[in-house]
Amino acid sequence: MSILYNTDKTLRERVSDCLEDDFKHNAIRTAQEVFYVKRGELVEEMGDGWQQLRLHSMEVRNHVTENLDYYVKQFATNAEANGCVMHYAPTGDDALWEVLDIFEKHGATYAVKSKSMMTEEVGLNEVLENAGIKITETDCAENILQTAESKPSHIVVPALHFNRDAIADIYREKRGYTGSSVPEEITHFLRKILRDEFMEAEVGIRGCNFAVASTGSVTLVTNEGNGRMVDSFPKVQIVFVGIDRIIPDLEALDTMLALLPRSAVGAKMTAYFSLDSGPRGAGEVDGPEEVHIILMDNGRHTLANSEFKDMLRCMRCGACLNICPVYRHITGHGYGSIYPGPMGIVLTAGLAGYDQIDTMAFACSLCGACAEHCPVGIPIHDLIRQHRMNIVEQGKNHAVEVPIFKGLELFWSNKPIYLAAMKAGRPVMKAIARGEDALDENSVWIPVVKGWTSTRDFDVLSETRFRTWFKEHKKEQAKNGKGGEQ
Amino acid sequence: MALGNKTLDDLLGPISEQLGRKDVAVAIKVPEWEFKAQRVTDGLSAAQLVDLFESEAAKIRVQAKRCAKADLAKAIAEIVGAGEPETGEACTVVCADEEAFAEAGLYDALKACDKVTDVHVWDEAVGDANVQKARYATYGVTYAKAGIAESATIVQPTYPKCGRAISLLPLVHIAVVDAATIVPTMLEVMQSYAADEKLPSQVCFISGPSATADIELVRVEGVHGPMYVHYVIVE
Repeated sequence: MSILYNTDKTLRERVSDCLEDDFKHNAIRTAQEVFYVKRGELVEEMGDGWQQLRLHSMEVRNHVTENLDYYVKQFATNAEANGCVMHYAPTGDDALWEVLDIFEKHGATYAVKSKSMMTEEVGLNEVLENAGIKITETDCAENILQTAESKPSHIVVPALHFNRDAIADIYREKRGYTGSSVPEEITHFLRKILRDEFMEAEVGIRGCNFAVASTGSVTLVTNEGNGRMVDSFPKVQIVFVGIDRIIPDLEALDTMLALLPRSAVGAKMTAYFSLDSGPRGAGEVDGPEEVHIILMDNGRHTLANSEFKDMLRCMRCGACLNICPVYRHITGHGYGSIYPGPMGIVLTAGLAGYDQIDTMAFACSLCGACAEHCPVGIPIHDLIRQHRMNIVEQGKNHAVEVPIFKGLELFWSNKPIYLAAMKAGRPVMKAIARGEDALDENSVWIPVVKGWTSTRDFDVLSETRFRTWFKEHKKEQAKNGKGGEQ
Repeated sequence: MALGNKTLDDLLGPISEQLGRKDVAVAIKVPEWEFKAQRVTDGLSAAQLVDLFESEAAKIRVQAKRCAKADLAKAIAEIVGAGEPETGEACTVVCADEEAFAEAGLYDALKACDKVTDVHVWDEAVGDANVQKARYATYGVTYAKAGIAESATIVQPTYPKCGRAISLLPLVHIAVVDAATIVPTMLEVMQSYAADEKLPSQVCFISGPSATADIELVRVEGVHGPMYVHYVIVE
């Protein structure tokens, strides 16, 4: 399981680290603002059409989820008819075995890859490297991360946490780069070194944004063109397809593509969108000679027909990350999952299980901005809340809240205990506050209370209870002959 | 011995079970959908679609120009004749093997350009040599199957006379689009393919130059694919 990383640290520790990294913070904030503004302009231009597109995408994706077994089968059958070699992976490990088999069959030791979350999910790179296979990430950001041995901080622009100087230094040290820190120069250096790799690699590995059941086609949305390179030159191609990528027919692609780039990066279309149906045809001299499709479940079926089934509509656009106030502060690395942000919480909890995710489901203010911006109408914050309820109900992480709330219930529903506590409250607090009117940072030695007082003051209880004061007040008014009721 | 050993049934079993059934349905009809979205292209005339295609192209940094059918060779020779786009030095061209190009006299017109040192027409007989030509070419010229007005996208299928490399490896991609094939949205393109028996091995939808914003969100063009894209709209 490689959905989670940096698990040696608790979520709280990871978040503290991220909060101290000002560059990372600002980078994420800028990205959020840029994508948000660009997306907003395009959505506005579509008028009512945007909402209608969302509703349509929802009915299409729900229909597939309700008939998921049928559409998985239809896609597999048609892809095979197109000449693809099908590999079935109920689990992530099954997918890894299948990939190793393909490399062994060809005696291949060199692969290029275009960004794929599915391969991240199963930890493919590490497994291949351990098997002595060289694998090069070819998306600019992913190549930066691979060269720097770092992890993604955003699902669409994953290397945001490095500045241009750091990136230039990484390539100077590891790849003999001699140029400046200007992004254009670094990028064109990558164009040069990676082009040779595309031409020499024996195997191309890629993901799939949408798989078309009626035609057995796989698709890829990219801006850089690395997806096309992987798709055009290595003789053997391996395509990772999640069972939650399937749409019924070609017409549905129009709807999904009208939503995806607008939501992801605020563009009407990405530079490239390819629709691939099998290996190169007769008389064609480029394109893969063999296409292997790894059709992978890895826990996704458990979401179908469950309270989290809406999550199967997700198309990984990142719109929810780009609007999330919590993500803005704790950044992708705070979550410790390859799927960060609001969608990441729902998916990680769903796939990795409650025992593995620390307090991630609580890294959310339930403001609902994510759901409002989700192009496929997933009620993301509701699903996060549902995860929290399940976690507490199952006595998992945060289950300590159960006895606390039970105790508080007892306290507030028992008048003598409550009144006694209120009476004792002021002198006790006054003593802790050393005679001042508020608890300040001097009281951080008290557990629980410090969560508040380390950053703000907490007023000492007043001398008089409100109810007592109100009774006195009424009496006073009656005495003065004022009716006073409003 | 193979390590992977799972079958389609192994994959389908747990999904069906989760959905509360024993077997996969034999046939499911795609339902009549309740929602259909209005689009910015609704109600536009053919001429307006071409205008929109052209104005959207400018937004994604594509240089678009129109020409009459008889002037196709001249229009492309004008672009290529300038030589390497940044230095103005000598250049090479790789073209798809299209009847329309031959009829227009394109290949001869390109060879006649002073700065053009080599014109290669895609030829399946020479195999991988085509790709090598494209790899070092300055210009790649293809004939798109269609244009999409909403996003200024061109639709470029792969077939024996037009390899994937032509629109991908050269520094500049010149796509010829017949104005009559410009449709409102991707939907019309998909509907036309849905009627076909077999899809091409690849249909690539191209919208502008290869680009990235991966370093500090600074947009850089020409990452792995073409740095410059021209559309020549034939009327």
